[in-house]
Amino acid sequence: MTPALQVRHLSTTFGHHGTPVTAVDDISFDVMPGEVLGLVGESGSGKSVTLRSIMRLMPHHSAVTGSVLWQGCDLMTMTEAELRRVRGGEISMIFQEPGTALNPVLPVRVQIEENLRAHTELSAAGRAARCLELMDLVGIPDAKRRLTQYPHQFSGGMRQRVMIAIALASNPKLLLADEPTTALDVTIQDQILKLILDLRDELAMSVVFVTHDLGVVAATCDRMAVMYAGRIVESGPVPAVFAQPNHAYTRGLLGSVPRSGTERSPLLSIEGTPPGLTSRPAGCAFHPRCAFATDLCRRESPALQDRAAGQAAACFHSDRVIAAGLAGS
Amino acid sequence: MTLSLRQIPRPLLLGGLLIGASLVLAVFPATFAPYDPVAMDYNALMHAPSWAHPMGTDNFGRDVLSRVIHAYTIDMQIAFFGTIFSFSFGIVIGALVGYAGGLADTIFGRIVDAVITFPFLVLVIAIVSVLGPGLVNMYVALAVVGWVFYARIIAAEVKVQKRLDYADAGRAMGYTPMRVIFRHLLPNAITPAIVYLVTDMALAILLGSSLGYLGLGAQPPTAEWGVQIADGKNFMTTGWWISVFPGVAIVLTGLGFSLIGDGLAEVLRTRK
Repeated sequence: MTPALQVRHLSTTFGHHGTPVTAVDDISFDVMPGEVLGLVGESGSGKSVTLRSIMRLMPHHSAVTGSVLWQGCDLMTMTEAELRRVRGGEISMIFQEPGTALNPVLPVRVQIEENLRAHTELSAAGRAARCLELMDLVGIPDAKRRLTQYPHQFSGGMRQRVMIAIALASNPKLLLADEPTTALDVTIQDQILKLILDLRDELAMSVVFVTHDLGVVAATCDRMAVMYAGRIVESGPVPAVFAQPNHAYTRGLLGSVPRSGTERSPLLSIEGTPPGLTSRPAGCAFHPRCAFATDLCRRESPALQDRAAGQAAACFHSDRVIAAGLAGS
Repeated sequence: MTLSLRQIPRPLLLGGLLIGASLVLAVFPATFAPYDPVAMDYNALMHAPSWAHPMGTDNFGRDVLSRVIHAYTIDMQIAFFGTIFSFSFGIVIGALVGYAGGLADTIFGRIVDAVITFPFLVLVIAIVSVLGPGLVNMYVALAVVGWVFYARIIAAEVKVQKRLDYADAGRAMGYTPMRVIFRHLLPNAITPAIVYLVTDMALAILLGSSLGYLGLGAQPPTAEWGVQIADGKNFMTTGWWISVFPGVAIVLTGLGFSLIGDGLAEVLRTRK
């Protein structure tokens, strides 16, 4: 099967008072048709920047290099006009804060119709029918009345549903979701996740899910890629990575979340904080916080290497990490 | 969304009443004015206010009340045409500059500096004196200078708005920059400009009267408050009513617009 989206050597740098800083550092990954890929990492690890770079939404003072192949075309070299056809039509995006991602002064109907106007040939009647259909699809009751309302008249979860309705209006083949549930209550979070998964099945689309919540990854994603300091440090199928992390950082992340079904044991925490954009350590960016670090890690930066079970990790000491196992298991 | 009568702030209500009344007088001056505004009555020169002439008569025997009422037509026009061109042009430029940022913003900043360095009135007078006196040229002059203030307000607001997610969301949906700017950003940024527009209408009336007074705006014998005050300035000691009543009309109308501006700001603030 050919991947729907192929990201190759994507790097994003910002001009920072003369010295450029790198937010995303040479990352590559594939998204298969119908697959949900989780992009996991702490705040500042470059997950959101990765999504925005793919959509070319970064501000002018940043430089994005690499290629993003979408159905054989490179999004990075497309003209603005071609890009506009892809954005919102073939690839859609939803945001963390549904409250700020919707235009506060336009009724919901206008905002959904706007996407239809931009990407479909539907007539006015067709658009009206499609609006109702979309409201049903995302589970907003009383669609006819709700369509005339403004975003502030919706609750947080309902707003995210509206956002999803807009994003899905033109049947995209790929949904980029930037922490879509982070701002929501846990119960609502669950509903939205379920909705996204249902829609994935129904519309046969791929999803890239950016989150810092491993619980969300376990519940929704097929594959995951763990990001640290702008790089992918480990990737692989979700069950495999959860069972046997190959990278010390992934091990630390998984160890810091309570798990059911295992013996009670103290939670691991990763000492220290992630490095800032301007103070990335030499060698492996994780070495100052890593229990497995050696001189090699301080000198050289490990490349992402294929491991067993479809996993890949950027760690010199994967074998020692595996041998150490997960705390408590 | 809908406000009940009690929720409407006092200033807005009072201002609305003043401007509402002004508009009625402006549209139907002949219905309310007891005399022809330019008809001279040589038997009634410089009469003090009386029952026949509630605001007295001027040195040509024209009824001051009728002239004040007829002037509403001109002065309300000045309030509208003196601001609407600056407003329309200013918000478009402001939205584009605010969205583009960078070099466009720098150049725009220098233009703003250049314009606000000169006192407003001096700049307008300079332009009018080049184009020649008259109302149309006055509107041109006001637009040439005034758009800068609207553009500055909108540019600042758009700069804030364009960083919000919905602007990115619009671009992520594949909308054109023009669509994002005018459909999404401008409606969200326009509130302060509308408040300023109403206040600016008061300023336009003052300015129109000032230019009328200086002989650069409406031309005699047209009934216009500034012109009337200028007509009466030589008779301040013997016929104060010739200048004072048009002055009162200016104050009331200006006050009306200012009150609406304040009230509007209050309503829009609480709604946010």
